[in-house]
Amino acid sequence: MIKRNKHTRRTVIKNAALGIGALSFSAGFPSILKADDNIKIGVPTILSGRVAQLGISVTNAIKMAVNKFNEEGGLDGRKIELIIRDSRAKPDEAARVCRDFINSDNVDVIVNAEASGASFAVQEVIRESGTLCLHTVSETTSLTADPSIRAWNAFRFSRQGIHDAVGSAKYAAKIIEKKGIKKWMSINPDYAYGRDSDDTFFWALEKFAPGFELIGKGWPKIFQPDYTEVITKIAREKPDAIYSSLWGGDLVSFIDQASLYGIFKNTEFFAINLADYTTMNAIRNLPKGLHSATRYVAAWPDTEENRAYDKSYTDLYGDHPTNWSWEASIAIDYLINALKETGGTDNKKLAEALKGKTIPSFMGVGEGNTVTIRDRDQTITNYSIGWGTTIPKEPFIQDVQAANWDTIENLEEEWLTNKGWI
Amino acid sequence: MISFLKKDSFSRDACLALLSWVFLIVVFFIIPDPGVHDIIQKVFILGLFALSLNILIGYLGLIAFGHAAFFAAGAYTLGLFLQSDFIKIYNFGSFSIPVAILLSILVSGVLATFIGAICIRLKDIYFSFLTLAFQMVIYSIILALVDITGGDQGLMGGFPKPPFLGIDLSKPFDFYAFTIFISILVILVLRQLIESPFGYGLRMIRDNAERPAALGFNNQNHKLIAFIIAGSIAGLAGSLQALLDVGAYPEWAFWAKSAEPLFMILLGGMNTFLGPLMGALIFEILNDFVTANTKYYGLVLGLVILSFVLGLKQGLLDWMVIKFKESRNKNAQNK
Repeated sequence: MIKRNKHTRRTVIKNAALGIGALSFSAGFPSILKADDNIKIGVPTILSGRVAQLGISVTNAIKMAVNKFNEEGGLDGRKIELIIRDSRAKPDEAARVCRDFINSDNVDVIVNAEASGASFAVQEVIRESGTLCLHTVSETTSLTADPSIRAWNAFRFSRQGIHDAVGSAKYAAKIIEKKGIKKWMSINPDYAYGRDSDDTFFWALEKFAPGFELIGKGWPKIFQPDYTEVITKIAREKPDAIYSSLWGGDLVSFIDQASLYGIFKNTEFFAINLADYTTMNAIRNLPKGLHSATRYVAAWPDTEENRAYDKSYTDLYGDHPTNWSWEASIAIDYLINALKETGGTDNKKLAEALKGKTIPSFMGVGEGNTVTIRDRDQTITNYSIGWGTTIPKEPFIQDVQAANWDTIENLEEEWLTNKGWI
Repeated sequence: MISFLKKDSFSRDACLALLSWVFLIVVFFIIPDPGVHDIIQKVFILGLFALSLNILIGYLGLIAFGHAAFFAAGAYTLGLFLQSDFIKIYNFGSFSIPVAILLSILVSGVLATFIGAICIRLKDIYFSFLTLAFQMVIYSIILALVDITGGDQGLMGGFPKPPFLGIDLSKPFDFYAFTIFISILVILVLRQLIESPFGYGLRMIRDNAERPAALGFNNQNHKLIAFIIAGSIAGLAGSLQALLDVGAYPEWAFWAKSAEPLFMILLGGMNTFLGPLMGALIFEILNDFVTANTKYYGLVLGLVILSFVLGLKQGLLDWMVIKFKESRNKNAQNK
């Protein structure tokens, strides 16, 4: 048994904050699992504010996979202990929480469930400490694509902006051909992700359907409650189609408000982030025929494994998983595989075990339903990307068309070359 | 020895500053927990930030809502300088970090001169809101200059920390000792300033601005100099924070960041010189402990501040000093 220092950070803080202690309560992870030889995983995420629901869905998915691993005996009896903390979506707080995990809790691995801004802060902390880090949420391409930001000990298990953009543009090009769409508008959140999404989508669309006309752009602020200004602009310009990367509560508000103005009657709406259960359930009357990428729905990929994943999650938590859930689930699957393969928690060995690895997955569309962590940039590929149209009740999306990964990777390479990243 | 410590002088302050630094170095080795070291250095960085704001609030009676603009300016200056090709072209080499820190102080100071020259012409709520307006301008500029600042993603890709004078800031002990040394040094200098005729001039302006003006005192100059000093120290705090996080983020220029030193001043006290530092300690412990145990961070912080405001009716250190003086007077009367 390892002898612990009496003056640990926790004891100092706890003694100093006894008065406050009465107001606090335990994070709730079973104390029986807190043994010294546990494999410790720190999870910084967002558990408060407007996207807390997504943060909860990602931690649910992590707990589900970890509990299963522990119940099966762990790694030669060593259980995984999760330490989950709220960063309130603040980058400096995420960095602090992350340093805390590494310095005070001595975690073996960081499973980063932060959105993009805070993910870049986490990346700098783990770059210095050398702790193995699995990014499970950030979709901003540069996190792993830009060589100046990439780190040897960081792996991405979440979607990537450029992958989605190519898949989206290919699908949109088919609809353009079918419906004779000419005039486009875009409505994207005014921050890095929204701007990236707008740039990459129209760059890729130019490749598949050149000659379209972009007649206007709307840049609502993130978490903006009222979209009247953008909606009246759409009503005035009368575009044939709109592309949007609004997400979560913002997308719900926009669709609810735009429906009142009848915007979707004569305009094709392409919302990349719509087909996620938390979003679709929150929309009062989900209009029929909106186009969306399959963030996460039980109906896509249309496989037994995916339906089983949805069922096990729903049975446990009484709600469907989200896009963030499947990304985290795959990250934990990879980690468990690597732990078993290396037989320990050596970060360098674990990193080697993750690199270039292909495993079967419920979201995999590679050969034999697999996903791959690409060796070159340590990012996930061959995950399911599909586009379809919405219907107001389960399964919420129909006529799904799968994106082709050869097309995605070819255009991705061209885009990365243009950027000077490869 | 005791009489030497009782006498309010530079020698006493310098001696206490040196002893504090040595004590904290000893703490580093007695408590070999990097988490504790992390908290201590963070308390000093935030403490500098809060102390700098207290020059305006506590000693000048001007409540600035936009102080984070200088904190962010310091952080971005340091990060951008260390990421730039400048350090290679002009061969700063191992001295790039001290130069970057000095540059951060300078840029924040220049920014404070510009903003201060306009803001100090106003008072009360108009002063407060004008500082807030300038801060939001800085925030918008950071967001808009995506190619330079990284926009809302912040300054990405890290930066090098080359050793200088045998100090390697990538080593935990060196960073700890360096951050605390710089902080204590600045606190020592600030203390001399506050206790100097200049500092008493600030108090006079706060208590009755017309009286010093009638005596021929240049109130505006005094206020501007105080504003520049406060901005420069906030810039230094920002540069140290950027070194710690190896990055800089637009949230540091957002109005919510300006609320943090205000909370610290409320918690620690604005009438005692080290009150804001005590506030930073309470704030950091609260932040660490509460977020580790509950997601209701805002609720707990709100309740604690409420208990200080309604219960103690002042910051903790102010309350302790008053209680200490009361008990000393009581003892003297009994004798």
